[in-house]
Amino acid sequence: VNLSYSEADREFRARARAWLATNVPKAARPSAGPASSRFDRDWQRRLFDHGWAGVAWPKAYGGLGLTGLQQVIWYEELARAKAPHHINTTYVGLMHAGPTLILRGTDQQKSAHLSRILSGENLWCQGFSEPNAGSDLAALRTSGVLDGDEIVVSGAKMWTTDAQFADFQELLVRTDPKAERHKGLTWLICDMRTPGISIKPIRTMLNDEHVNMVFYNDVRVPLGNVVGQVGGGWSTALATLSFERGLGFIGDQLELYERVCRAIELAARCLCEDGKSALEDQGIAQRLAAIKADAIAIRAMTLADIAETERTGQPGPKSSLMKLMVTKTHKALSEVVGEIMGWDFLEFNGDRQSHPWTYEYLWSWVFSISGGSSEIQREIAADRILGLPRAR
Amino acid sequence: LLLTLDGDELGIIEAAATFLEGAIPLARLHRGEPAVDLTHDTRKQIAEMGWFAITLGAEHGGSGLSGIEHVLFHREVGRRCGAIDILATSLAVLIAPAGAIRDELMAGGASIAAAVADGERLRILGSADAKMAVHISGDESRLIDLAGVSFEARPSLDPSVSMRVLHPAGIRVSAVSLDPTVPRLARLGVAAMLVGVAERALELIVEYAKVRHTFGRPIGAYQAVRHPCADMALRAEAARCQLWFAAAAMKEGRRDMDAHIDAAKHLANEAAVTNADVDIQLHGGIGVTDEHDAHLLLKHALLLSRLFGSKRTLLSRLLNASVED
Repeated sequence: VNLSYSEADREFRARARAWLATNVPKAARPSAGPASSRFDRDWQRRLFDHGWAGVAWPKAYGGLGLTGLQQVIWYEELARAKAPHHINTTYVGLMHAGPTLILRGTDQQKSAHLSRILSGENLWCQGFSEPNAGSDLAALRTSGVLDGDEIVVSGAKMWTTDAQFADFQELLVRTDPKAERHKGLTWLICDMRTPGISIKPIRTMLNDEHVNMVFYNDVRVPLGNVVGQVGGGWSTALATLSFERGLGFIGDQLELYERVCRAIELAARCLCEDGKSALEDQGIAQRLAAIKADAIAIRAMTLADIAETERTGQPGPKSSLMKLMVTKTHKALSEVVGEIMGWDFLEFNGDRQSHPWTYEYLWSWVFSISGGSSEIQREIAADRILGLPRAR
Repeated sequence: LLLTLDGDELGIIEAAATFLEGAIPLARLHRGEPAVDLTHDTRKQIAEMGWFAITLGAEHGGSGLSGIEHVLFHREVGRRCGAIDILATSLAVLIAPAGAIRDELMAGGASIAAAVADGERLRILGSADAKMAVHISGDESRLIDLAGVSFEARPSLDPSVSMRVLHPAGIRVSAVSLDPTVPRLARLGVAAMLVGVAERALELIVEYAKVRHTFGRPIGAYQAVRHPCADMALRAEAARCQLWFAAAAMKEGRRDMDAHIDAAKHLANEAAVTNADVDIQLHGGIGVTDEHDAHLLLKHALLLSRLFGSKRTLLSRLLNASVED
């Protein structure tokens, strides 16, 4: 175990901090609509042009070729500088489609997509879940029929975040309905402009439409867009999910500490019914301090995870514990802030900028359900970390 | 920066585990009430292997190792509900000035307990034959002399640790140290023992869930058992990662080391007590029997969670503490 940063790490942090100090956009991100994705693309383009995109991606694909630790440092500095939140319309491309292509894509796929993800030119969305296949992902039924050098896709996908802004989709389809259910799947790169795709937004309890249903009516995808093998989609999808669960939320993991410090400042300002500050309430003070301890431990877990990922090349099953820890702490923080704010917490119009705490509170369910619900994460931990007998 | 154990560190765990499993297996606590928490022979063996002087400088005859090796060893002690004497002796070695007392301590010649303030009294945790006790108050660490002092023995919930109370008036102080290393190693040592308890509780239930059948299936196949086990794994993992971080923060002299140590102790408190609790529940009836290990872990966790950093103290410090990059 050692915690000392190398000279290169320290230099990288100083350079990142200095650049962010003068380059973080002053205008707030529009909360919805095409203006929001334009904002994300512009910010990503700016990062790319100034040499900050894809910190740990290989140089050959336009990344900086730096270490996982420097990637952590970058996210810490983003949080410190209050830079645009990394979970935006560039997220799927940067955090899981890109890493999946790096691990499993052909040279042609890599050169066609990776640098365009980094530059913000191409936005991606995910097409895994379906109306009847969520936690049980391998039950998916959207079909892909081989026809010459194309796969013809028909069916429906569900919960596709930002589909309306995406250029490409990581699309998981069933190409062999006769095979055992995990075996007949194929992972495709789907161009969202292909004829036959239609999108229907789903209004959520956050008062927004960030998720969608996507329908496929004989959508023709070239065979060259298969990532991994035809019929080998489950294995490729597991790689995608390990990135999503492991390092996909790294920005949130590290931001939690900043947020709990802000919550403590807020508690010192907010007055309770008895006229005392919320921070004088021992119950609230203890909960905030316990959440701070958890946020500190989350950083340690992240660094341990990075060390493990550097060793094996891919996040392992401990990323399920990581996701449980982050989502649990995120929710606990939201709940205590709700009590601190009293009635003000109930003022909400769906705008993240003006009502961040209420927005984050509502988001805590998105967090603990998307990317594999907490219940599924516990199943993965029981199977793959503890080796308990399988229930399924 | 690399937050993972290297080969040397894994070697320490291996050596400590092998030795302690022979010297102080949990099974010892099922053989009737022992006369002392740590026997004379075991104390001598620990001394011979140098475990009492891991962090003492090599120039003083110690191993000159850091908080990292200290926590690796004490985690193994905790897994077996080891006596408080072991940690207390390693702290006493740091408090005592060079000379006869320290030499005797390093040689395992004296039984040492821990003393904690308890209202007007001092509560002594450790073997009934302890000659001295380590008492930490703020930054000051004292070695107090228990010879000839009158005590009141108290019944102890935790069979691995004996308790006595005394009135400190007129008590003789043999040595005082203002070295901040001592209180830090005290908190880290107990945090490490608690992590050991949290991990042991998880292992006990995972093992049992594979072999115990109900309704024709191993109980580990039921989500009502699997999910609480996953939560136990999370508590142990979070506490362990923070423990490694805190120990390394101390080794490297980071300015925020105290906040990291407090966070490590807090997570370890919660992980050990909750895991030991859930372990009993998931075992069902066998979990509440005296012959099972499960209650030993819970009782030890309750004691350790009060020692060198209770929830209230730790959280009041953490509220205003800050950590760096």
